[in-house]
Amino acid sequence: MISSKWLKRGLLTVFVVIAAVLPFAAGGCAPDDGGEGELVVYNARSETFVKPLLEQFESETGIRVRVLSGREELVNQIEEEKNNVRADIFISNDAGAMEYLRRQGLLEPNDSPTLDKIDQRFRAGDGSWVGLSARSRVLIYNKDLISEEEMPKTLKELADPAWDGQFMITRGGNSSMVTHVAALQEAWGDEETRAFLSSLSENAGAITGGHTDIRRAVGAGEYPIGLVNNYYYHLQLEEDRHNNVGAIYPDQGEGEIGAFVNVAGVALISEGPNEENARAFIDWILEDEQQYQFSYHSKETPLNPDIPAPEGAKPIDQYRAMDINLADLGQHWPGARELIQESGLDLGI
Amino acid sequence: MAEKPILCPDKRPVLTLQETLRKPSRFRLYLWRGNPPGIIPEALALITALVMFIPILYVMVRGFQGGWERWLTLLDTRIPQLLWNTLSLTAVVSFGALVIGVGAAWLVTRTDLPGRRTWAWLLALPLVIPPYVGAISYIIVFGPQGLARNILGYSPVDIYSFGGVALVMTLFTYPYVYLITSAALKRFNLNYEEAGRIAGLSYPQVFWKIILPLLRPAMGAGFLLVSLYTLADFGLVSMLRYTTFTTAIYFQTGSFDRQAAAVLSVVLILITLVILWLEYRTRRKQKFFQTAGAYREAEPFSLGRWRPAGLGALGIIASAALVLPLSVLTYWSYYGIARGALDSRFLEYAYHSLLTAGIAAAACAVLALPLVYLKSRHPSFLSSFYEKLALAGYALPGVIIALGMVFIFNNYIPALYGTAAVLVFAYIIRFLPQAMQAESSSLNQVSPHLDEAGRSLGYPPWQVITRLILPLIRPGILAGAALVFVNAVKELPATLILRPPGMDTLAVRIWIEASEGFYDLAAPASLLIILISALPLKWLINRF
Repeated sequence: MISSKWLKRGLLTVFVVIAAVLPFAAGGCAPDDGGEGELVVYNARSETFVKPLLEQFESETGIRVRVLSGREELVNQIEEEKNNVRADIFISNDAGAMEYLRRQGLLEPNDSPTLDKIDQRFRAGDGSWVGLSARSRVLIYNKDLISEEEMPKTLKELADPAWDGQFMITRGGNSSMVTHVAALQEAWGDEETRAFLSSLSENAGAITGGHTDIRRAVGAGEYPIGLVNNYYYHLQLEEDRHNNVGAIYPDQGEGEIGAFVNVAGVALISEGPNEENARAFIDWILEDEQQYQFSYHSKETPLNPDIPAPEGAKPIDQYRAMDINLADLGQHWPGARELIQESGLDLGI
Repeated sequence: MAEKPILCPDKRPVLTLQETLRKPSRFRLYLWRGNPPGIIPEALALITALVMFIPILYVMVRGFQGGWERWLTLLDTRIPQLLWNTLSLTAVVSFGALVIGVGAAWLVTRTDLPGRRTWAWLLALPLVIPPYVGAISYIIVFGPQGLARNILGYSPVDIYSFGGVALVMTLFTYPYVYLITSAALKRFNLNYEEAGRIAGLSYPQVFWKIILPLLRPAMGAGFLLVSLYTLADFGLVSMLRYTTFTTAIYFQTGSFDRQAAAVLSVVLILITLVILWLEYRTRRKQKFFQTAGAYREAEPFSLGRWRPAGLGALGIIASAALVLPLSVLTYWSYYGIARGALDSRFLEYAYHSLLTAGIAAAACAVLALPLVYLKSRHPSFLSSFYEKLALAGYALPGVIIALGMVFIFNNYIPALYGTAAVLVFAYIIRFLPQAMQAESSSLNQVSPHLDEAGRSLGYPPWQVITRLILPLIRPGILAGAALVFVNAVKELPATLILRPPGMDTLAVRIWIEASEGFYDLAAPASLLIILISALPLKWLINRF
């Protein structure tokens, strides 16, 4: 018969062993070598827009999708993990971020024929990232406070003292803002852009964390004007109240630079644990129905002209866009943040 | 080694040859002041202490690796603003918490306020509300699309301003000051105050000239504790869009590698060390005793016509720090649950929270033992050293610990990187000190003579711990495990950084959903966390 002394010793040893080993066993809950049917997605887009799509992918293919949601810091994380890649797909709101990753050698070329559905301007040369929806920078305004004629028609007008305290912008670190600045650097050069940003940040009535605050505040009449992405205008129109808003696309006049069009899309991360599933995901999301869904919830315009734009969204061929190749912005993107900081516009949180 | 100790006829144990040969060396005897611990407890303590300390060391090394240019750039651009933001907030919140905490403590312990007994624990209750949950409830009420705007047409408090941030932070950290000072006030000896009255001082003069100075150590400790919490906080300041060191490190909006984050971490670590050192100095002073002569409890001060004012003041505090958040969250939870917030995903998140927190709690309960035992039974420079190493995680913000984990695991232990193990390690580093404090207070109530008795009966040191001491300090072990568990469930920044994809916890979900304005989804999880936090509340209050 086992004496109680040894029983207790045995139990104690078992307990200590378990306590020591459990943290490692917990690692087993999240296997890092990927399984057969897994896909790891780093998502920098608002979860509401992305979750339905990912769940649909999961139910259609049976591949388990594991999502890590975040913001711009995911780019840093992907870079940090380059020797030990954890992610397969990066969903981004920002061509600048994806192009930056490509230039760092962190993305995998993709020659799948499905990418041809998207115009060359809006994807990487080697297919490693592809845009799915267009997001233009517009000026949203409250129709009760200001009329369309009175509105400033160009971005540079915002730096004018006449508009002091009349408009809202986001913090400098917001990804849309950063890429916009990179585009302005391409169009105007560094000096002019820095000066413009300086005046802009001094002139701004409010600097917020994100665009949702801007659209809501302009809708509610706190400020007459806000610099946002076009779909925020459409989202505000759909609200129950405070929806008497309009939007103008700036710099549309003859000889002016045009409105900046950024894209949201997906990037294929190099050496990810589930490359096959990742490529399958990209092919899947480029299918017409999925492209529509990608843009639909967020009221963006699909880049594929064959896909119907959500009601109220201006199709991409109906306004003047800045004449630049998004891929070219990649070179400016690292410096854009420094420029923003130098100009005095806080990167913020 | 003998199974049973061989005894002389008069029952003294006889050392076998092997035992004699294993006599500790003179150096070891010197290090341990003649009382060396067993090899197993010491080895465990040393390993634990080193593992706790390495990540922070690595962050500091990495911070200095960037080179002087990096430092100079950051010192020119980001650091001054961050210093101002962080230190001004810390100072204002600490003073605010001091005023509220001392005032409330005095009202509750030294006056004849009606309902004192209820107020006593009610005022400590905001401790169960994590600051970021408190922030969410205030955004719901005072935010740009909040309740206040709907009802009044405008919001009396600009929640996204410095004032808003300071207010909310103060409301959820004052209980620390409150608990420490009320414990001190309760121990006051009437003699000093009586001497003052006899000398002709009025009560206000007694308060300012006698009570407050005697309270200074307690006030200092509370003040510094609140400072540490404010410095380390991430959830509340990020929700309220206020940039401090923690948010700057997390969002790293200024660079594309984590080098800048490491530099900022070094600065934050240095600030924290300064505050820790100040706290250490005040704690030493707290040891002056008031037991000259007979100890008598003080008579309560009669408030008279000020009673309604006192009740009113406490009522405002309780409403702001308890009623508002809880009612707002309950309303939104009801709304959210009606819309199906408690689905299978919610259960998954809860499971992730409970799993990681549970493992961390069990591990901390075990790992704290050798350290605590060594400190208590074998006091020496070495055991203090081990203890200090292990306390590294105590005051450091979760962001920095997470950063250290990322650096180390990503570069040196890639097999575990990206798994939940890293997250659990981070919890252990951060919260081991809690288990250590709980177990050590229990252990200090057990006389060392028991250990010596056990040794004299022939048990090796590790058996003395397991067979004699463990059963006696069980309450301390359980309390320590409970504290670690609760803190791990509430933890936000390290979890955000270290969680494997797909393994979100309740805290992470609350933060993500509240950031996007989905309060109906964030509220039920918030209430659940508050309920879990309430579990060890009694022990927490008694600790002070």
